[in-house]
Amino acid sequence: MKKTYGIVAAFDTTPDFYHACEQVRDAGFSQWDAITSFPIHGLDAAMGVRRSNVPRFSLAGGITGFCTGMSLIWWTGASEYPLIVGGKPYFSPMFAFPISYELTILFTAFATIIGMFILNKLPMHYHPVMKAPQFVRASDDRFYIVIEANDPKFNPVQTRALLQQIGGKDIAELEE
Amino acid sequence: MSTPAASSASASTAALANKFLVTGLIGLALTALGLFVATPQALALSYLVGVAYWTTVGIGMLLLIQIHYIVDAGWSTVIRRQFEHGLSAFKWLFVLFLPLLICAWVKPGLIWPWMDLAHEIHGGHTVGADPLYLKKSGFLNLRMFTGMTLGFFGIWIWLSARLRKASFTQDTDGNTKWTFMSRKTAAFGIPLTALALSFAAIYWMKSLEYHWFSTMYGVWFFANCMRAGMAFGVMITYWLYVRGDYKGIFNTNQLHCLTALAFAFVVFWAYVTFSQYFLIWNANVPEETFWYNIREHGDWVYVGMLLLFGHFFVPFLSWLRYRNKAELKPALIVSIWIAVIILVDLCYNILPALKDAHDEPLPFLSMNLFWVLTSVVGVGGICVWAYLKSFPTAKIIPIRDPRIVESLTHHEATAP
Repeated sequence: MKKTYGIVAAFDTTPDFYHACEQVRDAGFSQWDAITSFPIHGLDAAMGVRRSNVPRFSLAGGITGFCTGMSLIWWTGASEYPLIVGGKPYFSPMFAFPISYELTILFTAFATIIGMFILNKLPMHYHPVMKAPQFVRASDDRFYIVIEANDPKFNPVQTRALLQQIGGKDIAELEE
Repeated sequence: MSTPAASSASASTAALANKFLVTGLIGLALTALGLFVATPQALALSYLVGVAYWTTVGIGMLLLIQIHYIVDAGWSTVIRRQFEHGLSAFKWLFVLFLPLLICAWVKPGLIWPWMDLAHEIHGGHTVGADPLYLKKSGFLNLRMFTGMTLGFFGIWIWLSARLRKASFTQDTDGNTKWTFMSRKTAAFGIPLTALALSFAAIYWMKSLEYHWFSTMYGVWFFANCMRAGMAFGVMITYWLYVRGDYKGIFNTNQLHCLTALAFAFVVFWAYVTFSQYFLIWNANVPEETFWYNIREHGDWVYVGMLLLFGHFFVPFLSWLRYRNKAELKPALIVSIWIAVIILVDLCYNILPALKDAHDEPLPFLSMNLFWVLTSVVGVGGICVWAYLKSFPTAKIIPIRDPRIVESLTHHEATAP
């Protein structure tokens, strides 16, 4: 028999779904997700989701870019091939600044995109939640909550009861 | 009908306004007493810093309101009203600028050396025999200066009056035509304000050393204006939030939008200020480099370093963190710091025009700094008084603005 991935429940209206998310949050689950076809303001707070970690990648990328720019100008102009241009010193942070600034932006952008892919585990071509009944409606007029089996508070019977109690419909157990 | 809480709040506003008026008058009186102690030139330039500083704040608020209208912004509607109150300071700033204008007519050359053709410049020539002056004399003369200065204040006061009237009247009649009128005002007002502030920076500050030129100067002043407007915006927000007026109105996302915009202007300021320095450093032309050479004398080099780190790195690195943008306390601390460092930036641009007998700039840390502070307190007291006098004349937010609901529900509403 295949491993259980989790339990999925469907909701019909945004308020029902929003309050259901609050209750799943308050029940103390950590490994679960909410699936909607459009952004719902305040859902992050209703789910108890903390701020994204992507900015940490961005900062690391920015610092790397700045240092790359500075060392590139220093290495090419003062170390590898010392050359006097316009009576200026071999190296000065002054003229290294524009290139460092550009590379800061470039590397920050790369790190942000890459960080987002890593944290979202992208690219992902298959996800067990796709097997939920009538799941195509998640991209149309229905909202889904899926609680994963690897959550420490997960219990096949109690979790199903919770989802039922908060108004979930078409509750189904998902295979891995 | 006013509730007891509302009337006590308006009474405290009136009391606060009086306090600021008294403080302002004391500051101005102290500055005036300086006539007996300091040299007239040092005092006049210190006073110029004071007037220029608060004009910077006013222009920033004027621009923020107009940008709000021209891009049809939603989130900033709740904050806009406070900027509109701030605009009431312009007429007083004009009155406070008059002593400088009178001084320019009574004693030409005391503040702006090019106004006196007999003024002796470095090398023994006079201004009147200086080809670098003669080429610019069509622009740099007393009549142009006077007319332009009257024009700047005329533009700012007129635009302020239009924007204030439209917004305040909409509170009572709820007519959307006022929003459209303000959008039109902004459409021609933004270029007018931009030209006025650029020429003001050139006439009032840059022409103190009239040999120098920099195409970045107006942009540098614009960056400071925007930063000053937003820094004071955060301070006003904090005051209103702590006092309770903004409870249930102001939320994290409006604050985050305001500070994020201010954060963008941290980078913008650094970009133009660095560009100005870098291009002059790279081209290495004596007519331009002398301006920075003066500012490497004495303690001015440390002031320059303070600007580099204090005006850019400190606010930049603090505001990289989301928490420092979205929470009122840290946002306030960074904003106060920015407001202070803008004053230092103006000092750095104006005060080195004061020279000693050897034609070297007088130091930053001197009695002149005291006169700068009395002027800033004096002019500032009057400006804040004008704001607080205007404050009770309109509702705390523009309640019948078509975008007010959008602003109040701006994303998820949680208290800051």
